[in-house]
Amino acid sequence: MPPVSRWSFAGFAFAVAVLLPAAKARADDDMIERLAACAACHGARGEGAPGAEYYPHLAGKPAGYLLEQLQGFRDGRRQSPQMTWLVQFMDDAWMREIAAFYAAQPPRTRAADTGAAALTADLRARAETLVRDGDKAAGVPACAACHGADLAGVEPGVPALVGLPADYVIAQLGGWREGVRRGVAPDCMADVANKLTPDHIRAVAVWLSQQSHDDGRRPAPAGSVVSPVACGGLAHAAVTP
Amino acid sequence: MSRASRWITRAFVATPFVLLALAVGGALFGLQGGFAPYAVPPAGTGGERVDADAATIARGEYLARLGNCATCHTTRGGTPLAGGRAFVTDYGTIHSTNLTPDVATGLGEWSRDEFRHAMRHGVSRHGVLYPVFPYANFAALTDVDLDALFAYLRSLAPAVAAAPPNRLEFPASWRGALVGWRMLTYRPAPFADDPKQSPQWNRGRYLVDGLGHCAMCHGERGMLGSLPREGYLAGGRIPGLGWYAPPLDERQLARFDVEQLAGYLRSGVSERGAAYGPMAEVVYSSLKHLTDADATAMATYLKSIPAHPLPRANTLAAPLGATAAGNGRRLYEEHCADCHGRDGRGRGLDHPPLDRAVSLTAPDPINAVRIVLYGAVPPTTARNPRPHSMPPFAQKLASADIAAVVSYARAAWGSQPIPVSSDDVQRLHGIVLD
Ligand code: HEC
Ligand code: HEC
Ligand code: HEC
Ligand code: HEC
Ligand code: HEC
Repeated sequence: MPPVSRWSFAGFAFAVAVLLPAAKARADDDMIERLAACAACHGARGEGAPGAEYYPHLAGKPAGYLLEQLQGFRDGRRQSPQMTWLVQFMDDAWMREIAAFYAAQPPRTRAADTGAAALTADLRARAETLVRDGDKAAGVPACAACHGADLAGVEPGVPALVGLPADYVIAQLGGWREGVRRGVAPDCMADVANKLTPDHIRAVAVWLSQQSHDDGRRPAPAGSVVSPVACGGLAHAAVTP
Repeated sequence: MSRASRWITRAFVATPFVLLALAVGGALFGLQGGFAPYAVPPAGTGGERVDADAATIARGEYLARLGNCATCHTTRGGTPLAGGRAFVTDYGTIHSTNLTPDVATGLGEWSRDEFRHAMRHGVSRHGVLYPVFPYANFAALTDVDLDALFAYLRSLAPAVAAAPPNRLEFPASWRGALVGWRMLTYRPAPFADDPKQSPQWNRGRYLVDGLGHCAMCHGERGMLGSLPREGYLAGGRIPGLGWYAPPLDERQLARFDVEQLAGYLRSGVSERGAAYGPMAEVVYSSLKHLTDADATAMATYLKSIPAHPLPRANTLAAPLGATAAGNGRRLYEEHCADCHGRDGRGRGLDHPPLDRAVSLTAPDPINAVRIVLYGAVPPTTARNPRPHSMPPFAQKLASADIAAVVSYARAAWGSQPIPVSSDDVQRLHGIVLD
């Protein structure tokens, strides 16, 4: 091997090992500075704000999912005055970059709740059944059938269900029932939310808030989960070859 | 006295009053434009269709952007220009209409002449229009520009969308009452180029006073929500929106040079200030599309407008005391100085200066309180595609602390020594969208 190419190989290896991560760290710092407003409620890297019992974390959620939410707040498919206030004059290109930034951060799948809210043994069992197996009689598919067996979400459109505060999950399902949160059609989550009783929604939300993966699990790859019913967020995954 | 003679006496006494009323009414009716505004060209007659070549349509689209038709005539996430956005006024809620060429619910059956007429006089087949529709400004548009706008609107895909019914109190709910409003407040004036000024200045005035209808927010409001000529671009609290718009004149804009001001209009940021609230919306949906030449023309004209009289200073309240100022400075250095600088000079286009910032020099502290409570992100534009942002402090600081830091900043950089109270901040809690 001539010396030049040996040097250029060393240079390449150096670039991959040292410069690339440094460049990524610089790019991250730049985004963190620009997104100072978001950090106030979601944490600098979207890890969630300590002590916030309602604000969802963003880190490690699928980028397609995050983009759809930002557009939803801007275009009226999702209601949250504080969110709409900040994103209403933002174009798709910047939203896409923001979504990609948070998606690339270490995911947070630790329990949001340490078990303070107690469930009766009955409701606990019922919640777990709904999540793992669904309720055939009521026509509710298992949450795990779409959100992944370990509930860590699926690329590109299904978010994790672990790591969310119970109140937040209750509010989201309530939003779907009232038609103020709308997903990509066919909106399978509206269907799920409408078929659950308020008691079961609360039980599932509390149960979910107590589940944990300490290792920060990434969403499953696109196409690895096939939705049992027609579903906007999964149609892409199922249809793309 | 007989009944007949009593009537005669009464009539005799009343006649001068009736005549006077008729004379005054007639004069006021004349001042608002006489009968001409109410002679809407009938459908199907007098309206040859406009030439709709691609260049005309493209020009119409540009004009529609500068006139910001889409912001008012579109709901959040709705079909562009299909109408339905709600406007909250002191008299109730008014909805914008469908401007797409649908026959039943839009402009499908309109002739060019009816469109010109509605834009000039604010009267259409639906009657006298509410002044939320800025026809007083659009009256300045040339025939050529109105026809290009119409050609563009006709090129859109028709959308079936009837405006929701308005919810107004009587008499505002009756369109006929608008004739009375016009008699009392509406004074149309012909709009012609000023030969003593440069073509660039004239173009700027045409865009600011005409198509851009900047006075809708930047004008001082007079009787019954009108925009009297005396308060033209003099600034004030925008009705229904809960924001203060500054005066636009040579004194207010002295800190910008023409180039910086043109840059602000197109990009939403500058070394002298960044757009937020309703101004961010104007930049995002309208001004970011300005050509270089038009932005410079507008800036040239804006900077030539003679200064409006300063509002009278409040001499009754006590200025900010030393202890409160010390507390405000401490909070500022802890929470704000990283971005805005200890000296309030800001950092280039990233973080605007607070020195002489609109929200701090304003007599009305509403903008400063709102922005510190709920934060802000300047609009994304081609020249500022990845904006920096201002964090909200509503969760982090108590109302008393927000009052202290805002009062400190207003005294330090806005020459507004009268402090904002914790109650003032409390009253402004709550996000207002649309
Ligand atoms: C004042 C607090 C606050 C700030 C500041 C804020 N958010 Fe949020 N955000 C929320 C709340 C509350 C929700 C949940 C809304 C709901 O109830 O549906 C949310 C939801 C979201 C979601 C959807 C999360 C999910 O899992 O569905 C995204 C994405 C998001 N925010 C991004 C941002 C970005 C980007 C910024 C900065 C421009 C930002 N937020 C600033 C409070 C905030
Ligand atoms: C048929 C597929 C499907 C099933 C079954 C399903 N989900 Fe979902 N879920 C989705 C998709 C897709 C989204 C993303 C929706 C969007 O883009 O707004 C979602 C989003 C959510 C969210 C919003 C998360 C956030 O961060 O805001 C919650 C909460 C949720 N699901 C809970 C549940 C629960 C609880 C169950 C079971 C009772 C369930 N889901 C079953 C597909 C499914
Ligand atoms: C500040 C908000 C605003 C802006 C900007 C605006 N409009 Fe409107 N417009 C309205 C409202 C509100 C109405 C309904 C008034 C009423 O019903 O009395 C209206 C009514 C109209 C009408 C009458 C429609 C009918 O069926 O009678 C026409 C035509 C029109 N607008 C065209 C335009 C065009 C073209 C532009 C851009 C150059 C524009 N508007 C910009 C608010 C606005
Ligand atoms: C919907 C209401 C609205 C309209 C319409 C509007 N503005 Fe504004 N404008 C505001 C508000 C509110 C502010 C103060 C907030 C800010 O500085 O961003 C402002 C600020 C400004 C400033 C900054 C002044 C300074 O001293 O920094 C300029 C310049 C300006 N507007 C120009 C215009 C022009 C030109 C038009 C017409 C094309 C216009 N505005 C139309 C609401 C409006
Ligand atoms: C992370 C950086 C950052 C921090 C920290 C910050 N700001 Fe800002 N501030 C901004 C940006 C960016 C804007 C422009 C927002 C826009 O135009 O939408 C702004 C705008 C403002 C304005 C409006 C200026 C005008 O032109 O009228 C005021 C007032 C203000 N900030 C005050 C404060 C105060 C007081 C604090 C501390 C309590 C603070 N800021 C903290 C970045 C910051």
